[in-house]
Amino acid sequence: MNEVNKNNLMLEVKNLKKSFGNREILKGISFSIKAGETVGIIGPSGCGKSTILKLLCNLIEPDGGEIIKYSNDISLVFQGSALLNSLTVKENLSLALRNKHLSKREEAEIIAEKLKLVGLSNFANSYPAQLSGGQQKRTSFARAIVIDPKIIFYDEPTTGLDPILSTIIEDYIITLSDQLRAAAIVVTHQLSTWTRTTDRLILLHAGEIKWQGKPQEALETADPYMRQFALSSRDGPILVG
Amino acid sequence: MTSIKTKSLNIIGYPIHSLENNLMGMFKHIGQVLIIYYYTLKFIFQGKIDYKETFKQSYMIGVKSFFVVSITALFTGFAMSLQISRELVLFGADTAIGGVVSLALIREIGPITAGVMVAGRVGSSIAAELTTMMITEQIDALKVMKINPIEYLVVPRYMAGILMMPILSIYAMAVGLIAGIIVAQVAANVQPATFLDSVQQTILDRDFEVHFLKSFINATIIIIFSCNIGLHTRGGAEDVGIATTRAVVWSMTGIFIANYIVTALTFIPR
Ligand SMILES: Nc1ncnc2c1ncn2[C@@H]1O[C@H](COP(=O)(O)OP(=O)(O)O)[C@@H](O)[C@H]1O
Ligand SMILES: [Mg+2]
Repeated sequence: MNEVNKNNLMLEVKNLKKSFGNREILKGISFSIKAGETVGIIGPSGCGKSTILKLLCNLIEPDGGEIIKYSNDISLVFQGSALLNSLTVKENLSLALRNKHLSKREEAEIIAEKLKLVGLSNFANSYPAQLSGGQQKRTSFARAIVIDPKIIFYDEPTTGLDPILSTIIEDYIITLSDQLRAAAIVVTHQLSTWTRTTDRLILLHAGEIKWQGKPQEALETADPYMRQFALSSRDGPILVG
Repeated sequence: MTSIKTKSLNIIGYPIHSLENNLMGMFKHIGQVLIIYYYTLKFIFQGKIDYKETFKQSYMIGVKSFFVVSITALFTGFAMSLQISRELVLFGADTAIGGVVSLALIREIGPITAGVMVAGRVGSSIAAELTTMMITEQIDALKVMKINPIEYLVVPRYMAGILMMPILSIYAMAVGLIAGIIVAQVAANVQPATFLDSVQQTILDRDFEVHFLKSFINATIIIIFSCNIGLHTRGGAEDVGIATTRAVVWSMTGIFIANYIVTALTFIPR
């Protein structure tokens, strides 16, 4: 933990900018996350939530600004599961551990433990194509947490899951941040997900942070943007379509 | 956007505009290919080779290509020997048939037949597989896990390619030779012993060197071009088909050009 600075910060983002062609998606976004803290990012579809996560994972280059990460143990749960199709569930998890150079036994133990956590012990030797969407998502989840990340990003982890499975995934997110003291970002559209899992919420719209605060405050605020979002209303400053 | 641009161009301007685009695209592609090839060689020299995956790929590339290579080599051998036998018989040079046929097989037909079949079978499947992995963010997942996609995906395919291609080429040559022996006897009444005698007198070690050089180059072109196209395609499902076609066209064009260059540079009068 010596890499963590005095303020316990795990991630700092300063004035992050990104355009695709002449469309400015992010117009200078700044925020920071401490160890053990979970930040929710919400906002209309196409506002750049996944883009932020891809920038944070170095999958795309920012046009401006700064990203400081205080750990190299970073995981991303992709919006689609992004499992390697040619590998079994077990092999997918093993791939994530490749750079840890563990003994075969240690590796097998860790993988078994994580698969048990997500309830997929019986599917260790299945291929992704043989799993349901929910099972793929849970595998993707297990793959992300198998390295005990210090920074973890979830891109719509509960979208498309039934309410029970959503609750299970939300519980994992909470458990993980408690157990590992990881800094986390949860991108989500689902009210239950951000009210249950996050310590702080950021509302993104038109390339800017329009509102941020605690999830409880989000439900009560008079801010027109946040209010429209929390009430799922079509009337308000956010125009869709 | 581009359609507006195109419309404003005159009849003379349009092809120039598109030629320019094609040239730019070609240079970009060649640049990307060189970068991928550089890293592939670097990982190989560093010993970062996944042998299990190389074995798996060797099976996909090599073993599964034997059938198609057999068929094409057999019929190419038939056609070529028939042509050569009939011509040489007219000149009373029956005893040279074996030499000419085997020379063509070892220096040209063997490598090119195997190359074209592998480009069609393997180049297309590599491009389709890697493009699908790009589109479904599997490659991004590798990067987040700090696994280099070139090391993980390209190196084993390339190793398998340079291992299996010479075997397939020499096999294509052997099949073609058998076809030649059959045709020479049936069409020109040349005994197998005479045929093989002529082969022995004509073929030099140099010819085998050219053969292996060509198969090495063919494997390099097919695997690296196809991987490059796969790793640079973004978009949706329809792009998988486009990438596949591009991989086959680029690989085959590359093979034919390289084949000529090697032939020209290594020609030896007998
Ligand atoms: N690689 C890309 N090239 C061009 N445009 C992109 C690319 N990735 C995302 N975009 C665009 O950027 C916007 C934000 O996308 P994204 O971050 O995926 O939105 P979301 O908030 O729904 O996750 C969208 O309008 C999308 O079309
Ligand atoms: Mg998204």
